[in-house]
Amino acid sequence: MNENKKKIIVLGSGPIRIGQGIEFDYGCVHCVWALREAGYETILINNNPETVSTDFDTSDRLYFEPLTLEDVLNVLEREAPYEGVIVQFGGQTAINLARPLAEAGVRILGSSADSIDLAEDREQFEALLRRLDIPKPAGRAVTSPEAAVQVAHEIGYPCLVRPSYVLGGRAMEIVQSDEELTAYMRYAVDVSPKAPILIDRYVVGKEVEVDCISDGVECLLPGIMEHIERAGVHSGDSMAVYPPQSIAPVTIGKMVDYATRLAREMHVVGVMNIQFVCEGDEPYIIEVNPRASRTVPYLSKITGVPMVQIATRCLLGESIASQGYKPGLWPDQPNPAVKAPVFSFQKLAGVDIPLGPEMKSTGEILGQDVDYPRALYKALLAAGIDIPLKGTLLATLADADKSEALPILREFAALGYRILATSGTCRFLRAAGLDAEPVNKIREGAPNLIDVLRSGRVDLLINTISKDRHIEREGAEIRRASVEQNIPCLTSLDTARALALALEARKNGDPFDVRTVDEYLKK
Amino acid sequence: MVIGSGPIVIGQAAEFDYAGAQACRALREEGVSVVLVNSNPATIMTDVEMADRVYIEPLTPAFLTKIIAREKPDGLLPTLGGQTGLNLATELATRGILDDYNVKLLGTPLRAITRAEDRQRFRKLMRQIGEPVPESWIVEKDGELVELSRQSGLPWPLIVRPAYTLGGSGGGVAHTPEELIEIGQRGMRLSPRHQVMVERCLVGWKEIEYEVMRDANDTCITICNMENLDPMGVHTGDSIVVAPSQTLSDKEYQMLRSASLKIIRSLGIEGGCNVQLALDPKSFGYYVIEVNPRVSRSSALASKATGYPIARVASQIAIGLHLDEIPNRVTGKTLACFEPALDYCVVKIPRWPFDKFTSADRRITTQMKATGEVMALDRSFESALMKAVRSLEVGANSLRYKGASQWSDMEIESLLTTPTDERLFAIAEAFRRGLMIEEVAGLSGYDPWFLHKIRGIVQMEKRLRDHAADLNRDEAAGLLTEAKGLGFTDRTIAELTGRTERDIRALRTSLGITATYKIVDTCAAEFEATTPYYYSCYDREDER
Ligand SMILES: Nc1ncnc2c1ncn2[C@@H]1O[C@H](COP(=O)(O)OP(=O)(O)O)[C@@H](O)[C@H]1O
Ligand SMILES: Nc1ncnc2c1ncn2[C@@H]1O[C@H](COP(=O)(O)OP(=O)(O)O)[C@@H](O)[C@H]1O
Ligand SMILES: [Mg+2]
Ligand SMILES: [Mg+2]
Repeated sequence: MNENKKKIIVLGSGPIRIGQGIEFDYGCVHCVWALREAGYETILINNNPETVSTDFDTSDRLYFEPLTLEDVLNVLEREAPYEGVIVQFGGQTAINLARPLAEAGVRILGSSADSIDLAEDREQFEALLRRLDIPKPAGRAVTSPEAAVQVAHEIGYPCLVRPSYVLGGRAMEIVQSDEELTAYMRYAVDVSPKAPILIDRYVVGKEVEVDCISDGVECLLPGIMEHIERAGVHSGDSMAVYPPQSIAPVTIGKMVDYATRLAREMHVVGVMNIQFVCEGDEPYIIEVNPRASRTVPYLSKITGVPMVQIATRCLLGESIASQGYKPGLWPDQPNPAVKAPVFSFQKLAGVDIPLGPEMKSTGEILGQDVDYPRALYKALLAAGIDIPLKGTLLATLADADKSEALPILREFAALGYRILATSGTCRFLRAAGLDAEPVNKIREGAPNLIDVLRSGRVDLLINTISKDRHIEREGAEIRRASVEQNIPCLTSLDTARALALALEARKNGDPFDVRTVDEYLKK
Repeated sequence: MVIGSGPIVIGQAAEFDYAGAQACRALREEGVSVVLVNSNPATIMTDVEMADRVYIEPLTPAFLTKIIAREKPDGLLPTLGGQTGLNLATELATRGILDDYNVKLLGTPLRAITRAEDRQRFRKLMRQIGEPVPESWIVEKDGELVELSRQSGLPWPLIVRPAYTLGGSGGGVAHTPEELIEIGQRGMRLSPRHQVMVERCLVGWKEIEYEVMRDANDTCITICNMENLDPMGVHTGDSIVVAPSQTLSDKEYQMLRSASLKIIRSLGIEGGCNVQLALDPKSFGYYVIEVNPRVSRSSALASKATGYPIARVASQIAIGLHLDEIPNRVTGKTLACFEPALDYCVVKIPRWPFDKFTSADRRITTQMKATGEVMALDRSFESALMKAVRSLEVGANSLRYKGASQWSDMEIESLLTTPTDERLFAIAEAFRRGLMIEEVAGLSGYDPWFLHKIRGIVQMEKRLRDHAADLNRDEAAGLLTEAKGLGFTDRTIAELTGRTERDIRALRTSLGITATYKIVDTCAAEFEATTPYYYSCYDREDER
């Protein structure tokens, strides 16, 4: 044991669960490495036996302990004196301990408990955004169905509604009308003055995710990722591409400016993640997390900027500039990268699969290549969506999505896909001049579309969610059959469009090639 | 070349990043240059610092072939990337791609892998060496099912497991020919392949695992054994597990250990291997359930439980080192051929996703549903269990569980018999309501030894409540010490006695009841450890 070294304690992220995966272990390990390199003695507390962070030679000393206030304080007492505790890489587990530890007199390195709370307190945070003149979707908290309708009329439909007391997108819905809103308020949730409902304008647009490192004054943004599915799909479940493909430079400029000013005003030191929805040129902030996010390892690898290392040095008091990095947006890398989610639905009965604001994926992968469509192809393939260049596609679509789906299905047809569709969808496609073959719905008699799925002749299912409960009951059955048969089922037209693009790239482009992580960083 | 396990899915989590990262480090220390392939960049193994060449590309035979063609590796280490890595390596070998590019399969030979993975060949080998495997049949047609049900001398009851259904749903246990036909037909209907596996049912038997290692010199050692609290019928990944085993007699322990060593020898594995066994609690009968000829979730757990780096040593064996030449990195003094000795108790509890998937079927069966797990160590089983429970972050700080007091007696009974993520809490609640150990054992199949311990925790809840008023008196010191030794947190004690967490902390500190720490050193403190890790307990002696 080295008695002269200064000590720092890093809190881990506990067991792997949906929403808090291996990414956070990656962050903790890199933080420990950076601290060791900077000459500190490192102490890590974690309880997950599966991880690298709990390998015996990762930290100088490992404590295999629960991550509760008491267990952590006991370790801290024993290890005193120490410089401080790092919570920002250990996901929500570690972040949740920031406030109680601070109250117990423990020094938190980097963003303080106050900064962390500020981002989570809706009122305080809105006040800050107003002061900085940074837009967020209009919205309010309400405690009665009547007030809800009134607010909805002020901000306009569609609206996003959710209870203020649940986290993680649970019970979140997009409502289009007074009827839908009132139904939600009356039947879907418990409303009371103690449990208000949040209503926000639903911004129909591109969702964009920004991760940055702040030294308290300046801000470095290694990269921006554009989501492929529109806003409304949880960031952990949407595909995303680096660098953005369809975001205007002026919008990107605004996001960099907002991130930089927010980080400074919130006294963020270390990493921060911001999610925006873009409407026209305007980015609206939907969420800020003053901690490491899921995307940190992705961006670190595709930009070559060692994010956790730089952030850790910032926690130790160094500036971004002194580490040789220029604040602002890091230049785009030559080779695009696409991240795609991976689900474990085959292991879980009773879980419905459509993409939505609640996270469902257990893991993610990355595909990288010389252009966006090729990177897309690799990502989809690596995520297990391995479908042939020519094949059979079955479409069963909600009325609202039919016209938007038409050009996408045309692309599949042009690739050589045979298109099967349920009656309504089929009629629509044929009327539009697309050659589709009808398939019976479940109750229309054998062979119905479940039989068709089971026959092994279908390579891809596209099914969008209907608001109609009767239709939806059947929808869930269809999707379950697809999971059982291991047939990819896409519930977002954005994913379907991306898949068509990827298949075209594969059909028309050169054979695929491989490169190392380092090689992708070069042109 | 090392192949990773790809994205995190249920059944393949971070344990393979841990294994792969250890392997990369060990190989490079031996002067080997490493090409690493994984599609999952949220891993340490894909850091450019970890390997000489890192590829983040899709894990398909076609892409791996391109990488092999480009890198021309001398060898491929197939046993570190979970089932994904193993299947890919096997496919590359059988397609002849490894031969085409002169790539040698390192460590466990392909022959041994297929012998362990192919059900029929594995069974044949087990019969040859006299190790028992449960009788089983694959059924795909109604006629076959009827025929089977008419066979005489069937080992009733039989377990029916439909192939390829979501989460293994739709199976069941048949006690009579009629039940077999009914469950079997339903299973085939539910199975997308119209297939069920029928096997002698071992539900209720103890499920025991051994982690064993072997090198090319045929030196074999046991790293650790583990006992599932949940008996057979619940996947080991969904079971609460304790290491080392707590309820086996010495004879049973030795019998299963010899069997495991015999199996790893007969398979010819060079590296690590996990052996799963079912033990009849009433006789010395046992069956071999399966063997995983690679590092696994269980080997990660065994590594962390003992301090023995299985993946590291397995990679060293793969490049030709022998167990008696490999130093143990934790002690820095012993060799890898020393079997670890544990002077503490380790408890693992799975972390399930039912808090997110509220509509999911919470029953845990023969297919895994957990996304992750926690581990805790302590001098006592009780305290390790309590620590693991609060590590889960499911809102339980002890065995007191939200909503448990509202369960009806009927509900408790069904929670005890039908395993779900809530069974542990239901057991505690059953004791709160005065059920006897034998009753709970009968319903849950848990060994009475574990139930005694759990009941002890529940009894402590009551004692603390009873002594709420006189907690400040000197006599209370004994009670508090005992409660802390059983793993009660200050918060739980505060809740039970109507104080604040801060009060309890102050009180026990003033009484000198504070946490001490012990070292995990793989050798029960026989040697001094160089890279120690610690666990807390309420023992007197503190180890630094
Ligand atoms: N005002 C909004 N307009 C459009 N989409 C939104 C809006 N607010 C949230 N979303 C969508 O809902 C998802 C989940 O919401 P979020 O508040 O980020 O939940 P979480 O805390 O789980 O990350 C976001 O990723 C985004 O796609
Ligand atoms: N014959 C049987 N009777 C009862 N339970 C069984 C039987 N065979 C296996 N199981 C249970 O099913 C689980 C999974 O089976 P296993 O063959 O080990 O598959 P896997 O490859 O998924 O680990 C085991 O951990 C055990 O609890
Ligand atoms: Mg098994
Ligand atoms: Mg297995």
